[in-house]
Amino acid sequence: MTPLSRRGFAAAALATLLAGCGGPPDRPAATAAQESTKDGATASTGTGAAPRPLARSVPVRLLIPAIDVDTPLLRLGLAADRSVQVPPVTAHDQAGWYRHSPTPGQVGPSVILGHVTVGSYGDGVFRHLARLRRGETVVTRLENGARAEFAVTRVRTVAKAEFPADEVYGDVDRPELRLITCGGPHTGDGYRDNVIVYAALSDTAR
Amino acid sequence: MRRIVLSVMALTCTAVLAGTAPAFADGTAPSPVPTRAATIAPGDEPSPVPTRVPSAEATRAPAEGQIAVRPEGAPDTGVTAPSTESGSQGGLLGGSAAAVLVAAGGAVFVVRRRRAAGTTEA
Repeated sequence: MTPLSRRGFAAAALATLLAGCGGPPDRPAATAAQESTKDGATASTGTGAAPRPLARSVPVRLLIPAIDVDTPLLRLGLAADRSVQVPPVTAHDQAGWYRHSPTPGQVGPSVILGHVTVGSYGDGVFRHLARLRRGETVVTRLENGARAEFAVTRVRTVAKAEFPADEVYGDVDRPELRLITCGGPHTGDGYRDNVIVYAALSDTAR
Repeated sequence: MRRIVLSVMALTCTAVLAGTAPAFADGTAPSPVPTRAATIAPGDEPSPVPTRVPSAEATRAPAEGQIAVRPEGAPDTGVTAPSTESGSQGGLLGGSAAAVLVAAGGAVFVVRRRRAAGTTEA
């Protein structure tokens, strides 16, 4: 080999090496793209796994294992002042379902109310509602034997004066549940706040 | 000089040729995987799920469910035991205050009578 060809060969080898180094970064990019599509697929599968809404059937029982609630459900309507009726104040306090709201498992916000305290009788059925945390389970049993299971998505304590009616009673595009009681400090008239638990349908059984 | 020119040319040509090799590799070997994945992912797998779920729910939502009669105001779901206690405490306070007033009034009355009696005796 002449010095010229040697240098040329060396330069060619170097150039090939350098050009070859440019290749690999493209592949991780491709795998990154695949991963992102995978994520998208799993995300959409997650929404796809959402249970189908149930047919209308009145709820008869409510169970919240995290706070030891197991109560029959009354049917509540509107009071004379057009506020929502609340369960009667009795020793054996029960929760109640607002009968103008969807039944649990139907599309829309199904509303269930219970007392936090029942005067001289002591604790109400929703005494520890504010302790619920996101992801915890709320189960409703329906008159037709079906079971709608909800997962808590949010727990809010809001002043009664600023009760978020649109957020609580407004339309939604999936089966949801609202559990409402009183909370916060109590003044002479009663409690200052409302505790509102928002939950979304997570499972059903017929 | 020639050597330099030749070696530069050789370097350039090799670099160009070598540079085209990964381009081919990108064009042929790896491309089917991402393109398939890309076409499969939005086309076949996820699309049926989002189109089914929201459409079914969105169409059902206004038809059934949703709150027919919206209540006014905030629910009153707490009958406070302390409120009755505070009521009785208030009663106690009021009662004791009234007792103090009655006692004070009585004392004033007695003192006045004694003074009046004292002036008449004198």
